Amino acid sequence: MRILVILRRVLDPAGIVAHRRLRRLFINREEYLIQPGDHSALEAALRIKDLGGAEVVVVSGQPEPDDDTVCRGLAMGADGAIYLSGEGFAGADDGVAARLLQAVVDRLGGADLVLVGMTTLDTAQAQLGPRLAGALGWPQIVGAWSVEIVDGRVRAVRRDGDDYVVVETDLPAVVTVPGRALEPRYPDGARLVNVYRGEGGMGEAVLRWDVADLLHPEGLVPLLENRGRDFPPERELGVRVEGTTEEVAQAVAEALRARLRGA
Amino acid sequence: MDFTFSREAKALRRMVRTFVEKEVAPIAAEIDREHRVPMEVMRKLGEIGLLGVCFPQEYGGMGAGEEGYCILMEELGRACTSTATNVGAHIGIGAMAIHLDGTDEQKRKYLTPLARGEQFAAFGLTESNAGSDAANISTRAVRDGDNWVVNGGKVYITNGGYADVVTLMAVTDPALGARGGVTAFIVQSDWTGFEVAREEDKMGIRGTSTAELVFDDLRVPHENVLGKVGEGFVTFMKSLDMGRLTLGAACLGGAQAALDWSVEWAKTREQFGTQLAQKQSIQWMIADIATELEALRSLVYRVAWMVDTGQPFTELAAMCKLYGSEVASRAVDLAVQIHGGLGYSRDYPIERAFRDARIAEIFEGTNEIQRIVIASRIFREHGVRISP
Ligand SMILES: Cc1cc2nc3c(=O)[nH]c(=O)nc-3n(C[C@H](O)[C@H](O)[C@H](O)COP(=O)(O)OP(=O)(O)OC[C@H]3O[C@@H](n4cnc5c(N)ncnc54)[C@H](O)[C@@H]3O)c2cc1C
Repeated sequence: MRILVILRRVLDPAGIVAHRRLRRLFINREEYLIQPGDHSALEAALRIKDLGGAEVVVVSGQPEPDDDTVCRGLAMGADGAIYLSGEGFAGADDGVAARLLQAVVDRLGGADLVLVGMTTLDTAQAQLGPRLAGALGWPQIVGAWSVEIVDGRVRAVRRDGDDYVVVETDLPAVVTVPGRALEPRYPDGARLVNVYRGEGGMGEAVLRWDVADLLHPEGLVPLLENRGRDFPPERELGVRVEGTTEEVAQAVAEALRARLRGA
Repeated sequence: MDFTFSREAKALRRMVRTFVEKEVAPIAAEIDREHRVPMEVMRKLGEIGLLGVCFPQEYGGMGAGEEGYCILMEELGRACTSTATNVGAHIGIGAMAIHLDGTDEQKRKYLTPLARGEQFAAFGLTESNAGSDAANISTRAVRDGDNWVVNGGKVYITNGGYADVVTLMAVTDPALGARGGVTAFIVQSDWTGFEVAREEDKMGIRGTSTAELVFDDLRVPHENVLGKVGEGFVTFMKSLDMGRLTLGAACLGGAQAALDWSVEWAKTREQFGTQLAQKQSIQWMIADIATELEALRSLVYRVAWMVDTGQPFTELAAMCKLYGSEVASRAVDLAVQIHGGLGYSRDYPIERAFRDARIAEIFEGTNEIQRIVIASRIFREHGVRISP
């Protein structure tokens, strides 16, 4: 069983300050997180591996030469990693990414399961999983809170309105996982050291693929053009309540009630 | 010169920080209040490999060197001095003695489970009549065939209440004194004759165990002699050098936390119509802490680099401990001042940090003793021998 997990990174919001008046973002600390959904997806893959064995391969690609994201995946327990880079990768949108990942699956000689975060923290697009399933022609489960392999099929629990339902489909399949679904495990200390030093077989665990070898240049052209940063329209400011604790609590409760009534 | 942390070091720090935020910080106040060693945290640290941070991978460690170990201690020190102390006594002095002078067999048998956190270690040097004057110990080990029979006791032993393995110093030849007459042993707490006599009730680091140990005809096999017979003092002093460096790293974390709280509060609190941050006296306090903190950071990581590159560092480790403990104490004292009444309240972590910081000026050799170590090195180069 081969499980491919897609890892994307996102700038840690704790290190950013948005300055509305200057219409600028200040990056005080440039730290990246694994997109919480992808992190959760990797945990789901590793749990499948723990239970029944699987080869877990993480794949990521960054505009600049920084394979930190796949290194984190390996340190957590992935068996292999594919790091995509190259000319033309910079502007990749979800459409381009889906085409690239389809090519990755082909070049690997197939996969049984692709796990990816349902959505992303920064853009909040929930497109990659569904688009990839479409490109591959595979069934998909969107928003799985848990993922299991049962009798050669994939079974997941996902939300359905206020309920949770159990769904199943044939392999190969694409499953997307919400950020809070599973608590990612800590990396293993010795493994982490080996990954960054390229020791203990970890150097060979990372395959570096150039996107030019995977897709024709036309395939890399995004449909949307990025024209730079802007700020969302100004939102209405809230009300500041003053007074004793009791008065403040009263005022807040009243405001919440008013909102519930749609006033 | 390149002062940037490697990607490996950054990844390790991120790993430790995540762990600390999730597992250590949330219970720091509780373990202090309940006077409880957080064994669940110690075990989890072991499971993910962090208790073997500086030990070789062939003995169950991570192989991240002293730099990695300092990163671990700094991050622990930011959130909980008790946890940093438990870990420091376990790795930095208890298991360290085995790492430095143990045989391959001893490392397989003892260091490996310690590095994995399957067992815990303590370091037994201090006695009621031998504190600063550590060479004056009187716990006695007498050879009896293939065994040594140990009688005596130790006081103030961190992790003493729960350690599985204690590296212990005892007199083997009273005629020779510290140089030649003292030997280090690896002893197991489950052996007959090993007893935990009592637990200390302390001002701070209340999430640690500080125990008095008593040895009554404790039989130690000869194969558990650590290093050579008669050279125990050297083993222990080498271990303490390592411990002092990483104690400095834990103090760095403690001082950083004090600064972070203070900046946050100075930003939030308003008096006389402006933020505290606008008052010059507060700005100066912040500037002073920040400056000392940066000096300490440079010292700690430079000495870690010296250890990892095999250079002599004894007096520099003493400086890490001396300066680190004083910077941390000053930082937390100023943090109390900046927080006013809040700084004195049990509802906030600063009061605990204030009580916790004080110990670093005392244990692993008091700051007076560190000054003696530093001065004696300096004078020795000038042909003057000084005695404490
Ligand atoms: C919480 C805690 C944990 C500890 N953990 C451990 C442990 O794990 N293992 C271990 O072996 N020990 C441990 N210790 C013992 C610790 O290292 C000693 O307490 C310390 O070395 C001081 O010894 P003492 O308490 O006997 O003080 P003393 O040696 O009696 O010193 C009293 C005072 O006199 C000063 N003084 C002494 N000699 C001189 C001199 N020559 N010149 C100037 N001033 C001097 C000292 O600096 C100090 O201010 C721990 C202690 C505590 C409190």
